[in-house]
Amino acid sequence: MNKSQIPNPKSQTIHKSQFLNSKLSVCNLWFVICNLFVIWCLVLGIFPLFAQDNLETLKDKYFSEHKYADFTDYLKQARKKNPKVEAETSYYIALTRYNQLKYLEESQNWDEYFSSGNDYRDELVAQASNTVNLTSPQDSLNLYAHCLLWQFHKDQQDVFAEDALKALMSSVEEYAGKKEDLRPIKYIADKLYSYGNKSESKKLYGIYADKLLKTETKEGELKKAAEETFALGNISLSTIIYDSYINKIVKAYPKEKSLPILLTIAKSFSYKDEGRSDADYAEKIFKKIEEIAGASSALDEEASYIRAYNLEKAKVYPGSRDKYTTLINRFPDSTHYEEALYKCGIITAYILKDIDRGSEFFAKLAKNPTISSYVISSIYQLGLLSQWRKDFPKAKEYYSRLMELTANGFGDTRKLTQERLKELEKDGEIEYNLKTFLGASLKENFDMSKIDLKASPYKVLKDKDTKISANTPFPESGCMNVEVTYLWSGHLGTSSTPANQPEFTTSYQYTGTKEINLVVMTPSGILEESIDMADVE
Amino acid sequence: MITNTLQDPILHLHGYMKKIFFTFFLLLLAIVFIIGITEAAKKPKVYIKKLKNNHYQLIVDGKSFIIKGVCYSPIPIGQDYSHNFAADPNQPWLVDGKLMQAAGINTIRFYKCEKNCSYTKKLINDLYRLYGIRTIIGHWLGFWDYPGPFYADKDFQEKIKKEVLDTVNFYKDEPGILFWVLGNENNYSFAGTVQPWSSQEIDKEPDAQKQGIMRAKIYYSFVNELAKEIKKIDPNHPVALGNGELRWLDIANEVCPDIDVVGCIIYRGKTFGNLFNSLKATFNRPLVLIEFGADAYDAYAKKEDQNMQAFFLESQWRQIYENLANERQGAGNCLGGTIFEWTDEWWKHNECDQASWSVHDTGAGWSNGSYYFDIKAPENKNMNEEWFGIVAISPELENGKNIRIPRKAYYVLREFWKNPILKKKEKK
Repeated sequence: MNKSQIPNPKSQTIHKSQFLNSKLSVCNLWFVICNLFVIWCLVLGIFPLFAQDNLETLKDKYFSEHKYADFTDYLKQARKKNPKVEAETSYYIALTRYNQLKYLEESQNWDEYFSSGNDYRDELVAQASNTVNLTSPQDSLNLYAHCLLWQFHKDQQDVFAEDALKALMSSVEEYAGKKEDLRPIKYIADKLYSYGNKSESKKLYGIYADKLLKTETKEGELKKAAEETFALGNISLSTIIYDSYINKIVKAYPKEKSLPILLTIAKSFSYKDEGRSDADYAEKIFKKIEEIAGASSALDEEASYIRAYNLEKAKVYPGSRDKYTTLINRFPDSTHYEEALYKCGIITAYILKDIDRGSEFFAKLAKNPTISSYVISSIYQLGLLSQWRKDFPKAKEYYSRLMELTANGFGDTRKLTQERLKELEKDGEIEYNLKTFLGASLKENFDMSKIDLKASPYKVLKDKDTKISANTPFPESGCMNVEVTYLWSGHLGTSSTPANQPEFTTSYQYTGTKEINLVVMTPSGILEESIDMADVE
Repeated sequence: MITNTLQDPILHLHGYMKKIFFTFFLLLLAIVFIIGITEAAKKPKVYIKKLKNNHYQLIVDGKSFIIKGVCYSPIPIGQDYSHNFAADPNQPWLVDGKLMQAAGINTIRFYKCEKNCSYTKKLINDLYRLYGIRTIIGHWLGFWDYPGPFYADKDFQEKIKKEVLDTVNFYKDEPGILFWVLGNENNYSFAGTVQPWSSQEIDKEPDAQKQGIMRAKIYYSFVNELAKEIKKIDPNHPVALGNGELRWLDIANEVCPDIDVVGCIIYRGKTFGNLFNSLKATFNRPLVLIEFGADAYDAYAKKEDQNMQAFFLESQWRQIYENLANERQGAGNCLGGTIFEWTDEWWKHNECDQASWSVHDTGAGWSNGSYYFDIKAPENKNMNEEWFGIVAISPELENGKNIRIPRKAYYVLREFWKNPILKKKEKK
């Protein structure tokens, strides 16, 4: 679209000639018709009824070409012709200035920014305030103007932001009490959500969902709305609608019918490497299922595993260990049995700091006559814990057994064991990174959830890349750099000695659960430590 | 006659009374005048006034004063921080002062002053006498001392106290002095990650958070003691506590009754967020932003970007003005600020390499996502320490000094200070 296609109040004749131009495309024709309709509305004085929708269309056109000044002029002329449309035009002028300022900053058009920025800001506030004054809270335009003022102040992080938010919330609540149109409420809730104002957005989503429930009495519609918002990534709203939907079906259906539905919802919210999830909400639904079913036996083998895995990835380790234990006890033939047992050992020993109990899990697994990566890793863990406890003969016994069992495979664990055996041949002292981790995790009281340690993806195929990264919250240090050292250890795959970096990419040649240990050090000592597990399939 | 004899005494009495009243009135006026003069004489030259609305104003020589300042460290190209610019025979401050005055800058801040340095005294005097520019004098409180700032050690405290009081004694009578700043970002050492220091008691404490609180109490108590001692020898100037962000100020609130002003070092990008109200809630003292700003180098595009710097600085000053006393919706606790900094310092990026002091390094030293234009630079390092000046310096010399080239921020701020347009209040 070129410049001439946008109506410019200073060049009305061009529009007329455009209209007469037989070579106009369908798009252009539609655009001119749209303009004429706005003018017709103006003439008939019924602008307020239709103008907003049409101005929306016009706004999109002007904004897409960044013709903010032209649109402002156009709106001012429209207002001059028909003062009845003052509220609408004021709002759109304010909106235009808001977008114009953003665009000037994005495009780094500094000359205009510095010469006119303050004028635009003043005009924005004056025009939006004018709309607020000319409309009542029952008018959606009033809400939009309040929202724009709040956005502006929030962006500026100025002293008016708090009052603007209060005014916005009270006007939405007043509107919601009297009006049935849900769109403005949803629009503002979405804006608040996108700005990170979670409690306010949740409140408005609640109002929205309540009103939706009143209008949408069919469960199917409610379910559809919940699924759609989930698919769009609005988890907050989705969970609110799902809550309403669940309440409804729990009351309406027998548990034989409601439980499978709940299970589907829980699974869809459970942790996944790709796609949307909300581990906390998934666990809430799992609990609800237990509550309705009256027992933990409500979950089948797969669901039990998903629940335990979901808690593990949410780093709710005691809960995760309990659910893995439930899986072990209820489904001893499960395909996840060994994984669950091994993870129980890791969580218990290194995170919950109960070495003896953790060793019991490893020992149980180590007794398994069928050799698997989990059996091998368990023997390694038993050797390692013995070595750390200075019980070198016992450690050597475990490592030697492991070497015998892995003559034809499990190369990664075998390699680690060889390193440990070399240490035993000397003085038994474990290498620095691993020793520091063991010291920190088995003795000290660090909160493992402080470091956001993760693998992307967690479930990785053999020989495929996974990125291991750690996000550590550092104490503030201003412009002084904190010297940080990242000590990685454990099963680190092909990248067995990652550089002193907070992240690295690796791949694994052998299946099984791989523990990744990290200690973050500063010159004054250990800052944080953590452990995570990736599953190679 | 009868009438006259009757009227005369009355008239006489009336005239007599008039005289008495007039004399009494004159006497009263004289008393009020004398009291006024005495009271005015009693007031310090520089002090903080708490207004009825609980806002704070800085009063200098009886008038309210907004600090429109810059951090001043005009290190010439090829020199490093050890260079005593006050002893420079080319007197760069004369050029700088003129430029500052033209922009509306009324204050400079020194991070430290050379001990008993008559050159520095002359510099302060010149700037004040010739350009009306006042000086804030700071002291590191031994933060960069080798082997470390041992604030828990009494001998170390005594050594620092002597240094501070000597400095105050030497400069306090200079008419250009505005106030004293104790420390800079020393509070970042409390977490033990930078310039760590400890004591036997602290080492016994296993909880890192509690260790931090112990360090904070020791340090802030020491600073308060210094403030108290300063006031004994200099009642004419307020004492500020220099602090990185607002971290640990809740502890200062418990142990620093003698601190008059909080001087904050803040790098939050476009604005200062909720800084002003947060300070009110934690340590209710007037605030001076003693170090803030933006660099003029785009570490992502790898080129100088004066507009980016001007953009951040203008926005920051707008918020400073919104929070000055008597701004209806602001916190009313801000007294102004000193931008980091007046001129670029070419030694900063690699201070160990003397050759690099003559090169304008484009390497970024640290990362700050609030300065978002160039945050996508390698390793997210976007803060270019050698490019913070609102005035660039050229290797070319004029009268022995590096030529000053004001950046866009200089001009934008000059216009802002001439007419600080604050957002109009929304009309209901």
